[in-house]
Amino acid sequence: MERQEIFSALQEIFMDVLDLEDEVELTDETSANDIEEWDSLSHIQLIVAIEKRFGIKFTSLEIMKWRNVGEMVDSMQEKLK
Amino acid sequence: MVVNSYSFLLFFTVVFIVYYLPVLRRTPRFQNAWLLLVSYVFYGFADWQMIPLLLGSTLVFWFVGRWLRREMDQGHRVAASRITTLGVVLGIGLLLWFKYLNFFAESLSLLLNSIGLSVSWTTLNIVLPIGVSFFTFKLISYVIEIHREHIMPSSDFLEFAAYIAFFPTILSGPIDRPDKFLPQMKTVHTLDYLLAADGCRQILWGMFTKMCIADNLAIITASAWESYESLPSTMLLAAALLYPVQLYADFDGYSNMAIGVGKLLGYRVNRNFDHPFLARNMAEYWRRWHISLTGWITDYVFMPLNIAFRNLDNWGVVMAAMINLVLIGLWHGANWTYGAFGFYHGLLFIPLILSGAFAKKKKLKANDLGLPHLKDFGWMLFTFCLVAVGHVIFRAADISEAFAFMESLCTNGLSGASIIDAYGMLYILFALALIIIEWIQRQQEHALQLQRFPLFSRRPVRFALYLLIILLIITFTGRSQAFIYFQF
Repeated sequence: MERQEIFSALQEIFMDVLDLEDEVELTDETSANDIEEWDSLSHIQLIVAIEKRFGIKFTSLEIMKWRNVGEMVDSMQEKLK
Repeated sequence: MVVNSYSFLLFFTVVFIVYYLPVLRRTPRFQNAWLLLVSYVFYGFADWQMIPLLLGSTLVFWFVGRWLRREMDQGHRVAASRITTLGVVLGIGLLLWFKYLNFFAESLSLLLNSIGLSVSWTTLNIVLPIGVSFFTFKLISYVIEIHREHIMPSSDFLEFAAYIAFFPTILSGPIDRPDKFLPQMKTVHTLDYLLAADGCRQILWGMFTKMCIADNLAIITASAWESYESLPSTMLLAAALLYPVQLYADFDGYSNMAIGVGKLLGYRVNRNFDHPFLARNMAEYWRRWHISLTGWITDYVFMPLNIAFRNLDNWGVVMAAMINLVLIGLWHGANWTYGAFGFYHGLLFIPLILSGAFAKKKKLKANDLGLPHLKDFGWMLFTFCLVAVGHVIFRAADISEAFAFMESLCTNGLSGASIIDAYGMLYILFALALIIIEWIQRQQEHALQLQRFPLFSRRPVRFALYLLIILLIITFTGRSQAFIYFQF
């Protein structure tokens, strides 16, 4: 799956799960510091939604490693090969 | 050697002068070596017999960190996970051995005796090494952060050992993290006047809250707990409401001094408190109280549990929060009261999680008069009362004493002896002033960051304030009490 496709799907998931009113532009560098609604709990909800949507399963270590959206997408690309 | 003592002043003066000598400022290694040496001297003053333990565990974790990275570089994922587990088990094992083994042995023999099996267990006389709860947490996070690829293992043992033994925080925290602290050890520190001046103010404020508020309130709360059977309910209520303020003034006072000393050496130490009494619910309270511990447990226990339970929806979060809070409780020591304290807080989290209020971080805003909104204020008061109830469990020697205190508080009636004299009233006013200052300075790291007030931009006014605080400390300093958190 193309990186761009993953990003646009993530964009939808973020808007939906975090209940965002304004459009956010996700980039590789976007992190929880940039989106107020993205905290440790909504992070878990995001992961559940991503796993469901893409039919993949992350390991605990993979999730704990991520520091921004870019690293998250790297993991996803790896699984969607 | 506590921070607010003459011996520390003498010790620190020598540390400070040598630390900034041009010869030490040649490379970070020289300053780190000096920090390491003085940190071990400092720790030796507290408990010289435990130096081999501190040095030994530091060495072991340094090797484990390097070994782990080597396996990761070679792509041995399973081996890397096993080494990380080994590191965590070693760290937890160290804590269990020194902190909890006596307790387990005693509890087990009590249990066996209660079911009719007569066991005479000799109590294991294991001495609790001072600071063990703090430095083992630093050791464990070092290995986990390497495994999570957030840091590289330290290539310099001097630097790593100085980080683990860093004297301002070794005895009682704040618990620093390697990803924030180790990079600070890679540069030479020249005296940063602004940071050092801020550190001095922070130390002064810490001394004030510890010596004038905590140590004086301690007298009131201790006398209430000594004879709660006979004291009137009003006195017990006062003691129960004052204890959280005492504990805060004590531990925040200590933390401010430790962070301030760190700043004098050019280090930014992890924050420990963010105005906890302004919290409007228990989740917010725990985000503001003993942050360096709760942050540690959130990253290494709560989040992994949450991830593991992620398909159980809210009940997964409830389970994770409950385990998390019981562990935070038990971290304080091997006593059922601490477990019950954590469990109590866990129960208070359930309605917050189920209603969705748990994660919402609503900004605290003032009304037109600069005061909190009435609704916010009501929730702050309510949260404070819930905290005070929890601290009755925390303060009691055992669970039955906690219940006995509560019962006396509800049934002793209004008449009887007073434990609060004129001085006591004054100290209660200090406590109230502290909470008001917390509100006014809620955006600042500590109360004496006064840059936004034009009045205090004038140096004479600022110095008059510092002088006033020093005079208050000299006049009202309480009978010196040990820092409460040194026992943990």
